[in-house]
Amino acid sequence: MIDTIEKEDNIISEEEAAQYDRQIRLWGLDAQKRLRGSRVLLVGLRGLGAEVAKNLILAGVKGLTLLDHEQVTEESRRAQFLIPVDADGQNQAQASLERAQLLNPMVEVKADTDAVESKPDYFFFQFDAVCLTRCSKDLMVRVDQLCASRNIKVFCGDVYGYHGYMFSDLGQEHHYVEEKPKVVKGSNEANDGPEAKKPKVDPNETTMVKKTISFSSLKEALEVDWTNEKAKSSLKRTPADYFLLQVLLKFRTDKGRDPQPDSFAEDSQLLLQIRDDVLETMGLSSELLPNTFVSYCFSEMAPVCAVVGGVLGQEIVKALSQRDAPHRNFFFFDGLKGSGVVDYFGSK
Amino acid sequence: LAFVLRSLSSCRVLVVGAGGIGCELLKNLVLTGFKKIEVIDLDTIDVSNLNRQFLFQKKHVGKSKAQVAKESVLRFCPSANITAYHDSIMNPDYNVEFFRNFQLVMNALDNRAARNHVNRMCLAADIPLIESGTAGYLGQVTVIKKGQTECYECQPKPTQKTFPGCTIRNTPSEPIHCIVWAKYLYNQLFGEEDADQEVSPDTADPEAAWNPADAAARATASNKDGDIKRVSTKEWARSTGYDPVKLFNKLFKDDIMYLLTMDKLWKKRKAPLPLDWTEIHHLGACGTGLKDQQVLGVQGYAQLFHRSVETLRSQLIEKGEGAELVWDKDDPPAMDFVTAAANLRMNVFSMNMKSRFDVKSMAGNIIPAIATTNAVIAGLIVLEALKTLNSEFDQCRTIFLNKQPNPRKKLLVPCALDPPNPSCYVCASKPEVTVKLNVHKTIVQALQDKILKEKFGMVAPDVQIEDGKGTILISSEEGETEANNNKFLSDFGIRNGSRLQVDDFLQDYTLLVNLIHSEELEKDVEFEVVGDAPDKAPTPSVPEEGKNIANGNKDSAQPSTSSKAAEDDDVLIVDSDEEPSSSTMEASPESSNRKRKHHGTDTDDAASKRKRLDQQPADDDEDIIALD
Repeated sequence: MIDTIEKEDNIISEEEAAQYDRQIRLWGLDAQKRLRGSRVLLVGLRGLGAEVAKNLILAGVKGLTLLDHEQVTEESRRAQFLIPVDADGQNQAQASLERAQLLNPMVEVKADTDAVESKPDYFFFQFDAVCLTRCSKDLMVRVDQLCASRNIKVFCGDVYGYHGYMFSDLGQEHHYVEEKPKVVKGSNEANDGPEAKKPKVDPNETTMVKKTISFSSLKEALEVDWTNEKAKSSLKRTPADYFLLQVLLKFRTDKGRDPQPDSFAEDSQLLLQIRDDVLETMGLSSELLPNTFVSYCFSEMAPVCAVVGGVLGQEIVKALSQRDAPHRNFFFFDGLKGSGVVDYFGSK
Repeated sequence: LAFVLRSLSSCRVLVVGAGGIGCELLKNLVLTGFKKIEVIDLDTIDVSNLNRQFLFQKKHVGKSKAQVAKESVLRFCPSANITAYHDSIMNPDYNVEFFRNFQLVMNALDNRAARNHVNRMCLAADIPLIESGTAGYLGQVTVIKKGQTECYECQPKPTQKTFPGCTIRNTPSEPIHCIVWAKYLYNQLFGEEDADQEVSPDTADPEAAWNPADAAARATASNKDGDIKRVSTKEWARSTGYDPVKLFNKLFKDDIMYLLTMDKLWKKRKAPLPLDWTEIHHLGACGTGLKDQQVLGVQGYAQLFHRSVETLRSQLIEKGEGAELVWDKDDPPAMDFVTAAANLRMNVFSMNMKSRFDVKSMAGNIIPAIATTNAVIAGLIVLEALKTLNSEFDQCRTIFLNKQPNPRKKLLVPCALDPPNPSCYVCASKPEVTVKLNVHKTIVQALQDKILKEKFGMVAPDVQIEDGKGTILISSEEGETEANNNKFLSDFGIRNGSRLQVDDFLQDYTLLVNLIHSEELEKDVEFEVVGDAPDKAPTPSVPEEGKNIANGNKDSAQPSTSSKAAEDDDVLIVDSDEEPSSSTMEASPESSNRKRKHHGTDTDDAASKRKRLDQQPADDDEDIIALD
């Protein structure tokens, strides 16, 4: 029995209400409606990509485009749960499509087999949010520049062994609401006797507060000047993961791939070298990133993909639904320590 | 790393629960390289699970979670060796020997009774256990290893919040009180009548008396005079043929007018305003959005009351003589009835009325749940699992997932594990507790059900009195000590200072219970465990970093509306209090006893297990996290 008294753009059907009940009870109907009207581009369908895809599809976005030009290999198939066992050699996005769609028939899931580098600018403009995984730094910077000015929310994320990160750029002016408890005034009754009970105000009443927040571009976030005094003094509180990310992005740019267990020895050497170069260029000491890091950043670990994919997925949901304060602007996860940190890098 | 991964394929692990956390966990385990996995869940799939339990699709609704989870996982990892059990982990088939088969047990549960039980089984078998819970955006993981860390029961957890009888019956001040009242009313009229669920005005309310003697006088007077209290609500309703209008006027007019005569109650409170069926005019609200989320007007709820009473009356008639209905949030007339009755009462007591959507949340103890929180927690579980299997317990942590980063920028907060509590009543070497009760007023059945099972988490207790003769008070063998059930403890010579030896052989657990006789327990309180923190008014707040959440619960906003402890609230790791559907399998055998009674006509009762499996799915609800 749909309420047909008023026809709205986004009327939630009873079917959706039943399926999304438990999340509507968390983030409210308005948020769900906004999700329902959002289109998202997801680049890269390996371990992390599959997790993000699952999370967004279950959340009930309007459409999700899975973009990946790579082919399924035994290794890539084992890294995620959407690709069927007989799909080796197929395109990764294509192979993931069927199972992804089955997660929630109410979402329009599409596969795109092109390389993201080959996409013209306007391709990105059809989306409300873009999520980039396994992309080069240059591409991420380009897409970020392209999108942020058009109020398209940009997200990046990767998993390297036990480590993972996500980055978000929600633009210069991201508007959202937060639910705050209503301040309960004292009783209207003129007494404060011990038997007086509370007034009839519902203690659970809340109010929605509007807020606006601005984000830095990815370029600026990655090009922090560490030579000035202020930056130097904040170093102590800066997660080493930030520098690890810089190293890994450089590796990816230089080698066209991520560190692989097959070439552990060679890749470890290169990683250490890159670490030295990168930190030196920044005017920082190599000690910020001790050598041990090389042991723990090879291949995507499934549980780390789950953690990072969960946080990243939720950030996308938050941004699209414009509800609750977004994490600003990096999240770093260290699977060895079990620590997850949110930190800001970039323009003030 | 590679070394660990290679040996993973030979590890046998047990996953208890195939719901929100369970689905994510199974996926993570196989992708990480685990091959030998056993998964158990008593539940079946419901449509409201589909927003997060991604191994299930719409076509699977009604089927066994464990079974479908296994099939879905095999689809992307055919080489995995998965055994699925559609069963309760508390079934005695899963004894200590069963648990010893595994190198690791991981809980993905939603209720405290099962968590307590698995905790004990893992202690008995000396197998490490990874415990976890989620609620909304919050989550938590921890590792339990006998002798090295706290067990699940080392820190006392607050029990389900309940409200005093007079608040429910006389002086409600919050919508939740009205909702609890409405659920009690449902039971009194259509279900199993319970002496703890009275709905009529409480003449013995100590607040109502100008002097103490009055209260006593009132109480006895009403018994003699045959006023409201004497005739049971159900009898009264029957005598009127469950006439909705008469019922309406009794509950919302006559009883309210009676309350008004207890004038002392209203000296400092706003007095209730009675409703009269013939005088209600007006409009329901209309609006956009979900129908369920609209708040109707008094007229709307009055009509809803009328309709639902008629429907429930028909249900009763259909079921025949002596039938009883069981409240179920997913049974529309039952939910309608509670929505209507609660709102009418809210209106009487000048509270803002609530939509069906909100009432359902509170009445059904629904915990909001999303996929991402479960995904994060399940990822953390596997990371802890890897350390555990490597015996790197010093690396293991309790990890809290917050909604927002704390002042030190942490969204995920790892904390060192605590060593076992030397006075833990479960894992200490010879655990003892002291319980205060009235030996002349406590019956054996209450000792068994409310104290040993509900409070102390036993499943099948055997109780001996330490009286030199080893008198057996309770035997876990069915029927053996049934004759003792309704006798008072004092009938067995139990008095102040008596000691009971309580064994649960399934859990391999012995507890010594010291009894203190007291005649001064508070009203509505049957017993007290000495050393327990007093029940505090819960305040919703964020878990503090590094602190074991030892009190408070997600329910602070929504205390339980059920009187039985089968639905749980939780602390450290939260449990769902969600009320299962009437035909659901319950984790607590106590409640399943209760449910079994109501379904006596269904099938033959040969195996209780079969009966439970025949019944319909519970709304699985998700693990929640405790808030301070």
